[in-house]
Amino acid sequence: MLEALQSMGSVILDPYLVLLIVVTTVLGVIIGVLPGLGATTGAALLLPFTLTMSPVHAITALATIYVSATFAGSITAILINTPGTAAAAATTFDGYPLAQRGEAGRALGIAVVSSTIGGIFSVIVLCIAAPMLAQVAYEFRPPEYFALTVFGLSMLASISAGGAVKNLIGGIFGVWVATIGAEPATGIERFMFGNYELYEGLSFVPVFIGLFAMSELLVQSKIAHHVADTISMKAVKLPTREDYKRIWKTVLRSCGIGTFIGVLPAEGATVASMIGYAEARRWSKNKKEFGKGAIEGIAGAEAANNAATGGAMVPTMVLGIPGSGTTAVILVGLMVHGLRPGPYLFTEQVDKVYQIFGAMLLANIVFMIMGLYAAKAFARISLVPTPILWPVVFALSVIGAYALSTSLLDVWIVLIFGVIGFFARRHGFSVAPIAVGLILGEMVETNLQNSLKMFEGDWWLIFTQPLAALFLVLAFLGLFGPVIFSRIVRQRD
Amino acid sequence: MQVPPSGGTAPVNIRVFIIPALITAFSLVVIWASLQLDESPPMIVGDSMQPRAFPMFLMAINLLLVAVLSIQFYRHPPRKVPLERYPTWGSIALLALFYVLTVYADMFIGIAVVMFLMCMLWGERRLWVAGTLAVVTPVAVFLLFDSVLRIRFPRGLLTNWYYG
Repeated sequence: MLEALQSMGSVILDPYLVLLIVVTTVLGVIIGVLPGLGATTGAALLLPFTLTMSPVHAITALATIYVSATFAGSITAILINTPGTAAAAATTFDGYPLAQRGEAGRALGIAVVSSTIGGIFSVIVLCIAAPMLAQVAYEFRPPEYFALTVFGLSMLASISAGGAVKNLIGGIFGVWVATIGAEPATGIERFMFGNYELYEGLSFVPVFIGLFAMSELLVQSKIAHHVADTISMKAVKLPTREDYKRIWKTVLRSCGIGTFIGVLPAEGATVASMIGYAEARRWSKNKKEFGKGAIEGIAGAEAANNAATGGAMVPTMVLGIPGSGTTAVILVGLMVHGLRPGPYLFTEQVDKVYQIFGAMLLANIVFMIMGLYAAKAFARISLVPTPILWPVVFALSVIGAYALSTSLLDVWIVLIFGVIGFFARRHGFSVAPIAVGLILGEMVETNLQNSLKMFEGDWWLIFTQPLAALFLVLAFLGLFGPVIFSRIVRQRD
Repeated sequence: MQVPPSGGTAPVNIRVFIIPALITAFSLVVIWASLQLDESPPMIVGDSMQPRAFPMFLMAINLLLVAVLSIQFYRHPPRKVPLERYPTWGSIALLALFYVLTVYADMFIGIAVVMFLMCMLWGERRLWVAGTLAVVTPVAVFLLFDSVLRIRFPRGLLTNWYYG
């Protein structure tokens, strides 16, 4: 424990790391306030720039982008009624009406404080829960990992936009994409069509840049001429004692909700903020005020979405299963920099893990300071015209994709997956399930193969393993629970 | 063409089934392609599965999901997606242009031309803004990656001149 605290504390003694956190926080806030450029796109674009950094510095940069962009989405949500990130969509419900009443500074103050509390709470939970979960994960064998990845894939049914079926189809497509290349156990070539550059499969990073950045570019082209209306604001105001009295229960509740949702594989800040907002409304005495500028609504959504960031890092680092779209990119970052995600990370490179946790804690404090003192300036960045912003994103996308393995094939993958992602989104399919499916694809196949070998081909013996059976039951409930429960409720009525 | 639903309330437009049909076709193509894959000798595969089995299993699940999606679309037809305007289709065409320029000229020429045209296509009317953006961004990013990250870019008209 003492060593963990020492590793976390060592962050502030590393001036380069502190500077990196400050710079990436500024970058994260800029990414967060620019509509369309969310934390996932930002992290995917930044990943190639971390190539020359040490593993701790690289992951810190990505994690800082994650936490700061998640918060910053609220700035534009409140000031221009356009959530900078999907996770800030719930903040618009009450943030913008409050700003319209001339209380933009107060709304931003509530958002900053709630986000910071949510973020710090979740990092503390991460520090405590991750090593505990790692202890349990040591016992995992292929059947447990297989069941866990199936559970992770089943959770796609409930993430973000799109319906459950569409998300699952996206997830299956992602898993199939992961089968392209040589099959790991036998070396048989699959779906390579004679292109030997695909022998080791598709690289994650170009696929992610294509799915998130390039497809978003094409989506943004639809609103290229959109001009946002801004609300003027003098300064960000810290919540008053009366405000704190009104929101503290909501903030605490949302911290718990956000962290829990974040820990669930594949769920993320967007789902957390929606549930955080809905629960804030359900427990509020002033339900009628919701949608008209209730500060509990802002606090509930913002504390939950930032609490989800630390929560989502738990399965990412301990199990190698991304807790959200952005942590899928961070997971790739861990692999690129030689940090093998999984329970052994907590024995082999524990000091690095706690340095990353410490850096995340510091990032939460840095974005709070920036949120309080520079939100007004950052809000102006959101007014950068799209005809200037998105061509720059295009350049960064293709050069970034090329830089990772100096292969033009990766550039073509960006373009292809950009177009696939655009048409998928056009028809209501979210791209996050494809990314999560891609990450989990190899895990699910390899662990199924190893389980079959372990049980000499008797696949049903997977169900005789208690933990594996538990995960599979949870997966079943995740997929069919809502249908079963609604039918039970209907019959009762 | 209209298909009357079994409930007999409102006719369902057959166009809503285009997406499920495309996914079905994709799944069937993958199953066919999987069947063309080599088989691994039993002594290597052992009690595990053949490399073709997993993709086929995935596509079988996909076909089930598509069936559910079709039922959903039949009961609650999705709203019609409005056709995008020229900036979107133009941007997709620019991606194709980027491919051609990168293969036959130079990646950085491709980036500069696409940035300039995208900027204009999306509504920028000041030529000097689009031009400056199209020149400064690729040059700055190239110098950053070349000098700091030591990345060597693919050979082309400009990079041949730079690398010598």
